[in-house]
Amino acid sequence: MIQVDQLIKTYDDLSRGRFVAVDQVSFSVGKGEIFGLLGPNGAGKTTVLRILSTVLAPSGGHASVAGYDVVKDPASVRRNIGFVSNNTAIYDRMTAWELVSYFGRLHGMPRKQLDTRLDLLFDQLRMNEFRDVPGGKMSTGMKQKVSIARAMVHDPPVLIFDEATLGLDVLVARNLLEVIRALRESGKCLIFSTHIMSEVQRLCDRIAIMHQGRILDIGTLKELQQRHEEDEFEELFFGLLSRFEDGQEGNWNEKVEFQPQIPDDGGASS
Amino acid sequence: MSDQASRVHRPKPESDKPRFSAIVLIYMREMRDQLRDRRTLFTIALLPIMLYPLVGTLLLQIAQFTRQHTTTVCIVGAEHIQDGPPLLKGIGFSDDYADSSSNLKLVLRGPDDLLENETVAGATTRWIQEGTFDAVVVFPPGFATPGSMPGSGVATVQVLYNVASDESQIALNRVTGILNDWKADWVGKSLQASGIDMAMLEPFQMEDFDVAPERTREAAFWSKMLPFIMLVWAMTGAFYPAIDLVAGEKERGTLETLLCSPALRSEIVWGKLGAVASFSMLTAVLNAGSMLVTSTFVFQQIGLGGGATVGAPPLIPMLWLFVALIPLSCLFSALALAVAAMARSSKEGQYYLMPLMMVTLPLVLLPMLPGMSLSPGTSLIPVTGMFLLVRSLVEGQYGDALMHLPFVFGVTAGCLWLAVTWAKRQFENEAVLFGGQDQWELGLWVKHLWRDRQPVATTAQAYACGAIILVALFFGKLAATSALGDLAGLTKMIVSQQLGLILAPALLMSVMLTTSIRSSLRLRWPHWLSMPMAIGLGITLHPLYLALGEWIEYTYPVSEDAMQAMLPFVEQIATLPWISVVFLMAFIPAVCEELAFRGFIFGGLVRQGGRLRAVVVTALLFGISHGFLQQSIAASCMGVLLGWIALRTGSVLPCMLIHFTNNALSVSISRLARSDLPGVELLFTRTQAGPVYQPLWFLLSIGFAMTFLFYFASLRSPVDESNPPELEPAADSSSMNSPTATA
Repeated sequence: MIQVDQLIKTYDDLSRGRFVAVDQVSFSVGKGEIFGLLGPNGAGKTTVLRILSTVLAPSGGHASVAGYDVVKDPASVRRNIGFVSNNTAIYDRMTAWELVSYFGRLHGMPRKQLDTRLDLLFDQLRMNEFRDVPGGKMSTGMKQKVSIARAMVHDPPVLIFDEATLGLDVLVARNLLEVIRALRESGKCLIFSTHIMSEVQRLCDRIAIMHQGRILDIGTLKELQQRHEEDEFEELFFGLLSRFEDGQEGNWNEKVEFQPQIPDDGGASS
Repeated sequence: MSDQASRVHRPKPESDKPRFSAIVLIYMREMRDQLRDRRTLFTIALLPIMLYPLVGTLLLQIAQFTRQHTTTVCIVGAEHIQDGPPLLKGIGFSDDYADSSSNLKLVLRGPDDLLENETVAGATTRWIQEGTFDAVVVFPPGFATPGSMPGSGVATVQVLYNVASDESQIALNRVTGILNDWKADWVGKSLQASGIDMAMLEPFQMEDFDVAPERTREAAFWSKMLPFIMLVWAMTGAFYPAIDLVAGEKERGTLETLLCSPALRSEIVWGKLGAVASFSMLTAVLNAGSMLVTSTFVFQQIGLGGGATVGAPPLIPMLWLFVALIPLSCLFSALALAVAAMARSSKEGQYYLMPLMMVTLPLVLLPMLPGMSLSPGTSLIPVTGMFLLVRSLVEGQYGDALMHLPFVFGVTAGCLWLAVTWAKRQFENEAVLFGGQDQWELGLWVKHLWRDRQPVATTAQAYACGAIILVALFFGKLAATSALGDLAGLTKMIVSQQLGLILAPALLMSVMLTTSIRSSLRLRWPHWLSMPMAIGLGITLHPLYLALGEWIEYTYPVSEDAMQAMLPFVEQIATLPWISVVFLMAFIPAVCEELAFRGFIFGGLVRQGGRLRAVVVTALLFGISHGFLQQSIAASCMGVLLGWIALRTGSVLPCMLIHFTNNALSVSISRLARSDLPGVELLFTRTQAGPVYQPLWFLLSIGFAMTFLFYFASLRSPVDESNPPELEPAADSSSMNSPTATA
């Protein structure tokens, strides 16, 4: 469903000059899979996901979502994804119902179908008690639920959650993770980015560890543990990061004994 | 690589056409959102409804105050009045001259009221300055019938007042009126006494009639005032919603939500533009309406209505205003939207209001100038033309309006298209939409300029270069007012202007800020054939260029003063050796101006797919650099052609040749016509104003020029300057913005 190949994104920055935010990132995600993007702040996770949501254009490389190229056919890509990020806020002066309905109509959903879908979503996410509350008066948890409903309103095959648990209390965060698991059960293709290791451990089928714009390693939790001979995930993560930083003077790819693997699971066809 | 670079540069214009339903959906949402905002409602609706009645009330109060205010006048030396009809009655003016009901208080002062060692002049001045009296009238000693004064002089009555005080000025007017009446009475009585018939003093009476139809008379004031008010409000009314809908949404994070929805960028722009334009119109209409109602009421109260020029506004003709309001509101809205897109927050957006106002306000103020009326010239000025058109419509001059309608319509539509295109571009530019909050520091910035040099100027550098050249030229022209005289003076002037003020900035920037002088100045070899073709185009287009110049001078006549100022210059050129004139007036400008405008600046502007921008902006800069209006217009037209050639050939060299040929022909046409070269009489005829091209050659040359133009149209630039392969695309995003890469 998602194919990312040698993706590059550079910016001009006053203090750093040409700054590579995303450096030759490649991965793919299939149906019914939760792909975890783990990395510290500033690793380039949001940039990768913004490129996937066609909000940013890549400087190099290719990416496709549900078979549509993000550069050549951005409109079709956007029709096939739901994007939840801590940067995608909701309107203050719109009620929960109005907002989700508005985005459903932007997707061109017929009125009747939209109403059934909204009823279903509001039930599923338990949003009925605040369906007429304007965004400005909602709590962070309510807002996040509205964002999720907004992203799911057109029932997209691909869903991207970028730091979606940021600022949520344990209860709501747990709830969100359950929603995501349920989405996997229904065969969706999911990307979940975070800097919280426990969430990745609990939720993700495969994990990519990102740092300074690069993917340091990709694999299932087991594969990673075996490859780096480290059972403790946190130790594994920090070890990987510090080894990368130590090796920065030389060439990283030569220093480590493996190339990040790009598993081909054939999920790219849609 | 080149394929990749061109592809990733900007998201390809989305193949899907904007859906009308989506635009309506976005429009409705934005409207509802704004209507739910208390601040917007206050500024858009409540403020105008409240503001004008409040101001009106205030005006009425002030009017009452001035009427109720008692004017105190002091008379010094009243005892000196010996002759004439009685001016005073008790401690007031005589009823014959002053209305007893008027609030005029009279105080008589004599020598006893002076301080010790104080003169009358000193005391009276002090009284006025201290505000004891509003005016002081001083009758000199021995004030009497003319002739009775010593030395046969006429007595002078001094009226002292203070120009800085309104009360004092009113007092002056009243006192002068009273004294004049008194004087006239006195004269009449004296004449009567000497047996002269009073009727002889007035051989005729005078009465003036205003033949303008009543509608024009009433409209005269309002057709100036109301459009002004409406346009200013249309601007303000567009700006605040635009900031909220773009910068505000950026700040609140809802813009990204919308951008990753299936709505196309174009749909978002059209929807938002519609909402902004609606609010702009609403604000203008509400303000104008509220002002109309209030002012009608106030004028009635003050009593200015009736026959005065400022009557109650004629309502029906004012409906024409709405016809103009729609396109102008859309224009302002598109501008505001594009400008607001640059701001990262509402607060930053507020800072952009002033520059935007500074650019558009002169266009709104221009029609208010006395003597401005609809003409082919003024109808081509954006906004101003529309304003004047509406004025003719309001005043009922439909024929005049209809004649200029195509011009006004064309210019307005063109501006609207440019503004909307700009707004759309802004929404496709990720540096604009996701600009981060980098710390700006001079040292860092200088380092960045040096470190991140590229083969070609950046867009910002190109704009900066244009601005530097224009400012330098402005001051340069101030400095070199009359440095002419002889060949040396002329040489000095042209060389210093061309090399020092036009070429030097471009060359310096090219050396210091880019890695390749050759490519930043666009010194590439085009196809060899394009060089002779350029010369051919220069020659064959010259008759048309001259015709254009004549048309411009006919439409915007050159003032006598300017003609006089130009005369020594023109005479000088006629006497100088031909070779040096061609060198100074054709060769040097062609090289310097082309390197700067079609070289450095064009190269920077053509990037990021800015082909149109490069052609239009360089043409405008090139035009403005020519100093006075008539030349500027011709040069701008020429600039468009040169820019197009520059785009087609990818080089500055053909432009230089066209520019050189054109200038050389202009300065040597009279010499050519006088020479005995074969075939001269086929090309030129002589008229009183000098040699002109033969009509036949004029037509033929246009045909040839078309052929040359077709040749250039068939060319493709050897390098894709719009998406240069050697540059990575992210490099051309505005240097100070980098999307925040948090992950």
